[in-house]
Amino acid sequence: MDSLSLIREFLHDRLGVGAEAIVSEAVLEELGVDSLMILELMFEFEERFGITLSKGMTPPRTVGEMVTLMDDLRSAQAN
Amino acid sequence: MSAQRVAVTGLGLVSPFGGGIDDFFRRLLAGESAVRFLHTDDVPRPIAIPFASLPAFDPQTLFGKALLTTMDRFAQFGLAAALDAWRDAGLSMRPTADENREQWGVAWGTALGGVLAMDRGYRDLWLNGRPRLSPLSVVQGMTNAANAHISIQLGLGGPSACHAVACASSAMALGDAFWRVRSGEATVMVAGGSEAPQAYSILRAWEALRVLAHADEQTAATACRPFSADRGGLVLGEGGAALVLENWQHALDRGARIHAELVGYGSSCDRDHLVRPNKDGQVRALRLALADAGLSPAEIDYVNAHGTATAEGDPVECQALLTVFGESAARLPVSGTKGAHGHLLGAAGALEALITVLALREQAIPPTAHLRDLDAECVGVDHVRQARTGQPLRAALSSSFAFGGSNAVLAFRACAR
Repeated sequence: MDSLSLIREFLHDRLGVGAEAIVSEAVLEELGVDSLMILELMFEFEERFGITLSKGMTPPRTVGEMVTLMDDLRSAQAN
Repeated sequence: MSAQRVAVTGLGLVSPFGGGIDDFFRRLLAGESAVRFLHTDDVPRPIAIPFASLPAFDPQTLFGKALLTTMDRFAQFGLAAALDAWRDAGLSMRPTADENREQWGVAWGTALGGVLAMDRGYRDLWLNGRPRLSPLSVVQGMTNAANAHISIQLGLGGPSACHAVACASSAMALGDAFWRVRSGEATVMVAGGSEAPQAYSILRAWEALRVLAHADEQTAATACRPFSADRGGLVLGEGGAALVLENWQHALDRGARIHAELVGYGSSCDRDHLVRPNKDGQVRALRLALADAGLSPAEIDYVNAHGTATAEGDPVECQALLTVFGESAARLPVSGTKGAHGHLLGAAGALEALITVLALREQAIPPTAHLRDLDAECVGVDHVRQARTGQPLRAALSSSFAFGGSNAVLAFRACAR
């Protein structure tokens, strides 16, 4: 599963957000992803992709930033 | 500020019968039972007990996915009951232009808090070998979660007090809210309790205490029989109940319907044993509630008893009533309603306070369901075996006596309809 698909699945299951709203420029907070839900989403990434997020990391603001961050981490930690 | 009168202007409930409050009270009067046989086999050793569960409760329809993700079942019951009471009080869900709600608050009771979330977490960590837990586990499991959700949803900026005092939790929450409104500190308080105790660890612990009633599919509905000679113990249940307590003049000014007046609260501690009830401790709480209300024993026309249907608890409670009510005890109508709705632990006090208010409002006393032959150690008061109407009910008490020896008694007075 790619990062965008996981974000879509998460936001649909947890928040009932439709896939059409989950586009690259969409602001996570405006989709209902508050600071608590960001932690849960990042936890989901760690669980599903076997990656580790650094504790001091700045949380992404948009869906696109989240996808980039996750793709970079998956790529880096796979090497 | 001089003492303010306290109106009960809202009643809310997640009914074990699945309907609304009027349906709930009608079924209580009819002696019906919401207790069913619970059998779960998705656990290491199957659970098979009588239990009052709420299978019709649909939190996703009530709250939506986003909110639900953050809530344990006890908080769902709590928010549902509080919103139900709020609607009943005719108050708006969000502050209006002329309300800042900074003197409006919540007092909530729960014995266990988000124990299902905690139980799930332990299972994942210890049994399933997961290395960590979801960050939402913290906010799902915290004991004041129901408080937080209620305050947030209703925009209540005043106190948000959580009471975890075993089976007296929500009675003490009501007492706390009552005193805050009476003192003038708060204008409106929503107070109550909620509980969802069917975690594997909790049910096994209660089973080990040897106080749960035994039953099968056929006998589960009548498994809890307070004051009955053949009683076999208590039956646990889940749910939530809430009352809106309001400054009397504030209620009058906005034309609110007043169900009853909350007039007194007494609390005490047995101070001698973790689980064995003590007559003297209960007597103190009963007398304190009467004195706080300015009521004499002769003015009390109904007592909703704690009545857990345990061998230890029922006789002590009757002895306490005999001590307080003396010669008039024989004419004192008493019923315990846990046979119908189960023992909701931290939510029991709120549910039974709600029943007490309904009794005063409807001028009708619900019976002790399934009371067969009266236990010889429980004689002396007027046990209500069938719904009773036709006699004026001026004032009533609701008693809650908890493990740990904490006792709480609330006194209500009827309002002219």
